[in-house]
Amino acid sequence: MAFDTVSLTVPATAGHLAILRTTVGGFAARDQFTLDQVDDLRMAVEEAAVQLLRHSRGDRLNMDIQTTDSGVEVRLLTQVDGDDPIIDEGSFSWTILRALADDIRVESHAEQATITLEKHRLVIPGGTVERDSR
Amino acid sequence: MTTEDRRATTKLLFTELRSSGDPQKRDQLAKLHLPLVEYLAKRFKDRGEPLDDLIQVGSVGLLKAIDRFDLDRGVEFSTYATPTIVGELKRYFRDKGWAVRVPRRLQELSLRLNKLVAQLTQDLGRAPTVPELAKAAGVSEDEVLEALESGQAYSTTSLDAPSGDDDDAPMRMDRIGSEDTSLDNLEHFASLKPLIDQLPERERMILRLRFFDDMTQSKIAEHVGISQMHVSRLLSRILEYLRQGFEGDAQY
Repeated sequence: MAFDTVSLTVPATAGHLAILRTTVGGFAARDQFTLDQVDDLRMAVEEAAVQLLRHSRGDRLNMDIQTTDSGVEVRLLTQVDGDDPIIDEGSFSWTILRALADDIRVESHAEQATITLEKHRLVIPGGTVERDSR
Repeated sequence: MTTEDRRATTKLLFTELRSSGDPQKRDQLAKLHLPLVEYLAKRFKDRGEPLDDLIQVGSVGLLKAIDRFDLDRGVEFSTYATPTIVGELKRYFRDKGWAVRVPRRLQELSLRLNKLVAQLTQDLGRAPTVPELAKAAGVSEDEVLEALESGQAYSTTSLDAPSGDDDDAPMRMDRIGSEDTSLDNLEHFASLKPLIDQLPERERMILRLRFFDDMTQSKIAEHVGISQMHVSRLLSRILEYLRQGFEGDAQY
């Protein structure tokens, strides 16, 4: 692909969610994701960012998007107080993210909370096309 | 059916509906006036949205008009219903925030893409990618992205719009009517239940299909009979509504 990584830092306010959503959408759309999947990612990033914003104690929210062999990985990060996990497994938010992303990791460490989302390609560039059986 | 017949039938159905509350009368009234919705929806067809979606949006307005119409006012129902239906259509475009601001070129491309998405989804058995769409439309990937972005230009503040007390029950509800929309899976999200209960039936179903039955947007679109882009917009709106519900008061 034309790019491997995109990094973006925005003020930690709800008004900047649209930039994150649009950026990840543009990235995935160029990277052989289907329209359904592009929307899934946009929604997943928004949900993850909303959860981070609720706990953020800093003034910045950081997003890294990276192409991987199987698809794309999006890592969202902000400063928090303490190291409590910001999304409980079994919460509604978790359920939403599980449906939208193929893999989720929620970590809090050294007063930094991170949510990592992975989405796998349905269409393999230059290769076989997997039929969506769902 | 002549105009006179239609008027007489309308009057009769309203009298029966008001005295019995029989939902079948409501359905019959809706069916009788669907041509009015189609006629009005066509006036908006050059704005880059599939006509089917517009007819569905207009039908919501029609049902509102049926519920609010007062026979004693001595106004013809079609006269009364027209501004409500047009209002619903305008609100739809206003919520999307692009009624006038999106250049015509993009609106036309967006309409064309909408059709191509449906066709390619059928052919491929999954939603297309942007490169596939660009190839099929004979335009660049950038142009596709631009058109899609403009089509997505809904604002999340659209939730401030008037509360859609009966924003469901499109004409096609009969296709999906018998399904369980109780969201049993959601029972342990006790705090959400009152919010979800307030959603129109169609939205509750879309929520369940996407997040609990793991159905793709394309499949949901096919199932409900609206475009994938409409499903996408509804899902974003539902999630935003639920988020606001957590924070305090929310109105769908």
